[in-house]
Amino acid sequence: MLRMQGISKSFGPVHANRSIDLEIPAGRIVGLLGENGSGKTTLMNVLFGMVAPDAGSIVFKGRPLTGHSPREAIAAGIGMIHQHFMLVPAMTVTENVMLGWEATGRWLRPAAVAARIRGASAAYGLGLEPDARVELLPLGAQQRVEIVKAILRGAELLVLDEPTSSLSPPEIASLLGVLRRLRDEGRSVIFISHKLGEVLEVCDEVIVLRDGQVAGRAEVAGIGRRELAHMMVGRDVGAPIDRVARAPGDERLVVADLAASDAAGVERLRGVSFSVRAGEVLAIVGVDGNGQAELAGTIAGVIAPSRGAVFVDGADVTAGGVAARRAVRLAHVPADRATTGLVAEMTVAENLALRAFDDPPFRRGPWLDADAMSALARERIAEFAIRASGPGTAASTLSGGNQQKIVLARELGGRPGVLVAEQPTRGLDPGATRFVIDQVLTLREAGGAVVYISTELEEALLVADRIGVMYGGRMVGLVRREDVDLSRLGLMMAGALQEHPDAAALYGVRAP
Amino acid sequence: MRAALAVLLAFALTALLIIAAGKNPLLAYAALVRGAIGSWDRVGVGLNKATPYILTGVGVALCFRAKVINIGGEGQIALGGLAATWMALTFPRIPPIVLPLLALAAGAVAGAGWAAVAAAVRLRRGVHEVLVTLLLNFVGVLIVSEALQGSLGEPGAGFPQSPLLPAATWLPHPLQGNDLHVGILAAVIAILAGHALLWRMPFGFRLRVMGASVPAAVYAGISPPRTFLGVMSLAGALAGLAGGIEVLGVHYRLIDGFSHGFGFNAVAIALLGALNPVAILPAGLFFGFLETGAQAMQRAVGVPTPLVSVIQGLTMVFILSAMGVSARRPRV
Amino acid sequence: MDSVAELLAASLRIATPLLFAALGGILSERAGVFAVGLEGMMLTGAFAGVIATHALGHAGLGLVASAVGGALLAAIVAIATVRFCADQMVTGLAVNILALGLTSFLLRGLFGRGEAPIIRVTPLAPLPIPALSDIPIVGPLLFRQPALTYVGLALIVAMFVLLHRTRAGLTLRAVGENPTAAFAGGADPLRVRAVAVVSGGALAGIGGAVLSLQQVGTFTDGMTNGRGYLALAAIIVGRWSPAGAFVGCLLFGATDALQLRIQGLRLPVSSYVIQMLPYVVSLAVLAGLGRGAKLPSAIGTPFVRR
Repeated sequence: MLRMQGISKSFGPVHANRSIDLEIPAGRIVGLLGENGSGKTTLMNVLFGMVAPDAGSIVFKGRPLTGHSPREAIAAGIGMIHQHFMLVPAMTVTENVMLGWEATGRWLRPAAVAARIRGASAAYGLGLEPDARVELLPLGAQQRVEIVKAILRGAELLVLDEPTSSLSPPEIASLLGVLRRLRDEGRSVIFISHKLGEVLEVCDEVIVLRDGQVAGRAEVAGIGRRELAHMMVGRDVGAPIDRVARAPGDERLVVADLAASDAAGVERLRGVSFSVRAGEVLAIVGVDGNGQAELAGTIAGVIAPSRGAVFVDGADVTAGGVAARRAVRLAHVPADRATTGLVAEMTVAENLALRAFDDPPFRRGPWLDADAMSALARERIAEFAIRASGPGTAASTLSGGNQQKIVLARELGGRPGVLVAEQPTRGLDPGATRFVIDQVLTLREAGGAVVYISTELEEALLVADRIGVMYGGRMVGLVRREDVDLSRLGLMMAGALQEHPDAAALYGVRAP
Repeated sequence: MRAALAVLLAFALTALLIIAAGKNPLLAYAALVRGAIGSWDRVGVGLNKATPYILTGVGVALCFRAKVINIGGEGQIALGGLAATWMALTFPRIPPIVLPLLALAAGAVAGAGWAAVAAAVRLRRGVHEVLVTLLLNFVGVLIVSEALQGSLGEPGAGFPQSPLLPAATWLPHPLQGNDLHVGILAAVIAILAGHALLWRMPFGFRLRVMGASVPAAVYAGISPPRTFLGVMSLAGALAGLAGGIEVLGVHYRLIDGFSHGFGFNAVAIALLGALNPVAILPAGLFFGFLETGAQAMQRAVGVPTPLVSVIQGLTMVFILSAMGVSARRPRV
Repeated sequence: MDSVAELLAASLRIATPLLFAALGGILSERAGVFAVGLEGMMLTGAFAGVIATHALGHAGLGLVASAVGGALLAAIVAIATVRFCADQMVTGLAVNILALGLTSFLLRGLFGRGEAPIIRVTPLAPLPIPALSDIPIVGPLLFRQPALTYVGLALIVAMFVLLHRTRAGLTLRAVGENPTAAFAGGADPLRVRAVAVVSGGALAGIGGAVLSLQQVGTFTDGMTNGRGYLALAAIIVGRWSPAGAFVGCLLFGATDALQLRIQGLRLPVSSYVIQMLPYVVSLAVLAGLGRGAKLPSAIGTPFVRR
């Protein structure tokens, strides 16, 4: 049905796709597997016409597809469900389906479209209500809006980009069921993922991308996880990381009944309490959007809590903002390294002083001490092996991994007592990921307390002494690593199980 | 370099307009240049004209650095001139050197206050600063007109203006026989101070981080509202000072409408100077000389002075487009 | 009672130029482009309208010319902001400066031999609708308005229908909220934005002609005097909806009408203070309402196709 040949695409110095050949027969679910940065999303964006390739050709159902935009791709019968949904939040399901769909005619007929949505929803088990506003729907339902859009426009090839990254386990199961139904009708599905387990569960065939090239392809029936992982990473996966067993020391971070709302006033964090001791890593897992961002923000002083308290080494820092946190040596690696953790236009040295610029040694009287900044920068560059030409280079020229190193160097370089790390390995290649994990464990060994927020369960298991599960703004589970039962964790992440009591009472602290 | 190209392109297009009006662009531009820098006298006048532009432009550039769009220059200058006039007329017995300095300080305070009002509305009620500063421009200018009708006006004058200010308040002319007044010193100091502030002081660091992203600023321990208020007040103070200088150095009285167009020109100059205080010096000079030359151009060749606005507007559009294109560079 | 009705009728009349400009601005802003350039587009339209009517002798042609004038200025904004991703707000300011200079220059350069001529055009007369205008109170208020005011009122409804009942309107709104989503759905955000800005400019230009042809009868330097910014304030006050913007324009028209009448009453309030009324009222209204959450989400963000 689809043949892509010789597709190449570069973004500046980054070669996202290097002469990729791809063939998809009809009536199959084909998995496109690869690590972050392997080129999967770029390849599909080229197919769908959102990105123009530097070289290569595409033939779909016998007809060539070149220089096209999504409009032509959709007309030809390709439907794409993006990782970040292409929906207009303020509009209803019906309006989103009608968007850009020429068959609806010049004058809108929402009633007719709504009827068709109901029909398709029933046929495929999607459970969609046409008049609902998209921004009020849960993420799983939003994804199904995307699917119904593709189906109604007669897509014969559906491309799903990391479709399960925002779903809970029951939603994942239902999605896979929908995909099987589509395949049995004779449509084809390209299932992009970096999760081995899911690919093996639903796909007929899998193609592995690595570093912008095809590293291998196989029938799912005849291959195992280790071989696939080997193709993905190019080496034997994960020498196990040495962890020193430690008896945790005193409580360094105490969080009591913390609650906060987001910018729109919706309460996202609903009263969380826990403590972390010296030499301990508490990993917090859960599907993105269940309050982790607000939890990290309130602990780190970037968001003001609506109630609750934060204590570091016994001191109440709740109301003190970022300044109070810095005074007690609490470090924060934010989730959004590119725009929050770094200022791309500033130099490496300035970024390394980003949070401390107003204090000595960086500030001398009314002036900034540029020499002090450079000197410190040189130290950190060496210590953390940051690949940059010097302290005066702009941070924007560095690779993602090195940018993250700057953030880490700044936060860890000061030997903090407590670290709050949000998704610190997101978007990093395995080497950089390993570096981050090593740094976290080193801090742990030195007696620091770490709150490690991640969506990757496997990674959390690598670093954690205890694992907490966030769902719906609450901590619904808190277990030691030795006691972890993956299926129970999955259920907790999906909100189907709650075993952690409200521990605020234990601490006897409530904000006025 | 980009700025130079934009200016050239603007001049080229405007030449077409001149031709359409039936005049010779080369003759017109020659008269423009002669009127601008043709004699030391003209240079002095041009420098005087450039002074308020440079002062206000530095303030606006600092605001832009923090992604704050402050176009309230006209109102801030007007009220600055008003305050300076009031000071000069109400306390004639203060000794000579002190009085003009106090008057200028009053101007700066008035300008800062007016800008702070705009900042407060923005911070408290979420109304975008572009709209607030714009609307306050009109109000500020009308306040000045109102004052000239009342207590500060000169009765019997055919035009709303204040009485002539006491000679003790006039800004001295350092060069004999030349109209240049010492206000140019303030402009130069503002440029140097602005540069030092932006690149070498913590406040400038705050501005640059805030201009990059507000979450980064919060993360860095910066208070966005306080920084917003601070940079607006600073810009207002510079504009108010410019207003005081115009009154004490050029007109020697408060004249209705003297602040017309300054605010927008300051924005254009800030853009031309790529938001760098040092580059605002040539940009401000360019605008100042453009205007003095335009009057000569009209007298000599008959090309109407509004042409200058055309050149300014076109230059801005070109620079903005070039800035937009370079901001699209893909980031790794 | 009579003078109240008369005041309201005057408010509606005075609000008409603002209305056209506001409706044009809504097109632009809901597609995601700030309409700061409305002032310049109105001014250009006012100029083109008067010049064309004077040169060609027909007010209808003048109206067409005003739309073209506004559209041409808007085209500059469209190219700079949509194609070159220039900052939308400052570009708007730039074209306002440009329009100010261009219209004054052309007025002198093309017609006055260097001086500012005075071109007189017969203002468009009110057009009473036969039976309806005799209804007490409502009659004179609504049905003895100049022709363009009726057109403006009809345009409010037309704009609503366009935005909410046609696919083109849906696409326009989507481009203003999430252009990438619109793109992925098959639309061309760049084209949509450009068309929205230019058509908005045409409407604003007609608004300028309403001012110069219908109300004043001539063109003078900078005659719009901030009305374009008031239209922008009306859009925000009206939460980017046609009907809401109309209410805003009416409000500003009322303060303007009030100001003219108070001056005649010789109250002990200075005329300058009264002239401040429209601006102060808009500030107060804007501040009172705060920034609504219904700002088009993607406004101000350029769309770049990779």
